[in-house]
Amino acid sequence: MSTIFSEEQRDCLQELINVAMGLASDKLARFLNTFVHLQVPAIELVNSAQIPAQFDAQYNSIEAALVSQGFLGSDGLRGEAIVLYQLDNAHRIAALLGYETDSASELEMLTDISSILTTTFLNGLAGQIDNQLSYSAPRVLSSRQNNVTAALIETACHWEMALKVDISYQLIDHSFNCDMLLLIPGEAVLNIQQILDRIVEEF
Amino acid sequence: MSENWLTGPVLEQLNSGVLVVDEQFQLVYLNSFLQRHSSVQLSEVKGKSLFKVFADVPEIWLRRKFASVLELQSPSFSSWEQRQYVIKLPHLRPATSSSQFMAQNCTMLPLSDPAGRRYVCMLIEDATDAFVYQQHLQTTLQKLEQSNRIDGLTQALNRRYWEEQLKLEVQRAQRYQQPLSLLLFDLDKFKQLNDQYGHLGGDSVLIEVTVRIRALLRDTDWFGRYGGEEFGIVLTNTALAGAVEVAERICLAVSATAVTFHEHSIQSSISVGVAQLDATGERAHELLIGHADVALYNAKRYGRNRVVAYNAGETEFLLKANS
Repeated sequence: MSTIFSEEQRDCLQELINVAMGLASDKLARFLNTFVHLQVPAIELVNSAQIPAQFDAQYNSIEAALVSQGFLGSDGLRGEAIVLYQLDNAHRIAALLGYETDSASELEMLTDISSILTTTFLNGLAGQIDNQLSYSAPRVLSSRQNNVTAALIETACHWEMALKVDISYQLIDHSFNCDMLLLIPGEAVLNIQQILDRIVEEF
Repeated sequence: MSENWLTGPVLEQLNSGVLVVDEQFQLVYLNSFLQRHSSVQLSEVKGKSLFKVFADVPEIWLRRKFASVLELQSPSFSSWEQRQYVIKLPHLRPATSSSQFMAQNCTMLPLSDPAGRRYVCMLIEDATDAFVYQQHLQTTLQKLEQSNRIDGLTQALNRRYWEEQLKLEVQRAQRYQQPLSLLLFDLDKFKQLNDQYGHLGGDSVLIEVTVRIRALLRDTDWFGRYGGEEFGIVLTNTALAGAVEVAERICLAVSATAVTFHEHSIQSSISVGVAQLDATGERAHELLIGHADVALYNAKRYGRNRVVAYNAGETEFLLKANS
């Protein structure tokens, strides 16, 4: 699947994502009043049919949650961002954000964190290509009661391609890891390629 | 803006709430939907703190949300599924909803005016319908789950569910090394009773006996209907001697008072077999049932209306008697 992007396009995309991550990290640090270090995210284009299997090993044996948020911009840029966490990880951020620990707050906290991660990162990405995104409300697709893989199978099959972005957020004293998946439909992939080509030419 | 003639009226007639606050969380705008629902006039509250005007909003939480919108310049959301409402408003379906407040989906968006001043715009959608459907669904599922566990006639647990609980309790008792006992009992000469008073008479005895016995049990005991007139009780954290005591009380509660059915007074009694868990392994619960069954068989053999505890030596006797 990765062959559909030329090497130039891939490099360009990686660069855009790096910058977006930097912006997001800066904003998060100011918001949380703590130092935030975001590692350079590894990106990978994967066939969405392979996604459930890829995450099965990582998330199925532990308590994990999966939150989805749709995004829509101009030039046919659209898709669904999925954030996967291990729940014991999320509690550390929750404490930082001052949440209660009952289960209703837990879901609220998960959607809040996901929304903050997703929108700051994607806004940073969109800003670099003169685009603006709007977002749907984040939705918990699976939490401790439900099976993560089953939820992924249900979601992933609607999309042709997925951009897998491994994000590792490191907060002072709190290490926090999660995975972000950008699921993108076929025609939006073509649009993204055109956008990337334009940037490469301008450069 | 050239579409001013359009946006103004649409905002005012929108069936959703629109609220705008500045960076100090002072109210800048409320559309008609919000003004009408909250009985507040924009002219009276403009410039006042949101938290003073709507005193019961969750202030700390909402401040944090707004701060993230202003700081990160990205939207924030609140769903009725996690927080039923942000601003307490009446809804328009008081008759069909169990909640008197409008369930809300809220979107908080960053806004800037031409001078560069920053605001937060909160859109409030009425999600009461979804909330009501969800509640109906949940009550229905609960009822369904309940009826899946309960024997319709006696309201004791049905056999399938009771056996599941027995299995779990046996595992628990083994893990924590706590005693566990089982009572199996059977109404004496129930066939005759049915023949004499009809099946409705028999049913009324089953119902009444179940009520009396349940009153003698703890919340942690599992009382189920095992077969037609046969019942089982799992006594958690109870050794044989204690279980025999409970069984004696139950036996007496049934025989001491006759059941009134129409003009008849129906005298009934039960025979109870008692056994304590002593086996280990996966089939321990089956062995336990087997032991209680042997004891019940003996209670019948010794003349009914009595309690018999399982005695390890008797297994062989029964096996011989059967063969």
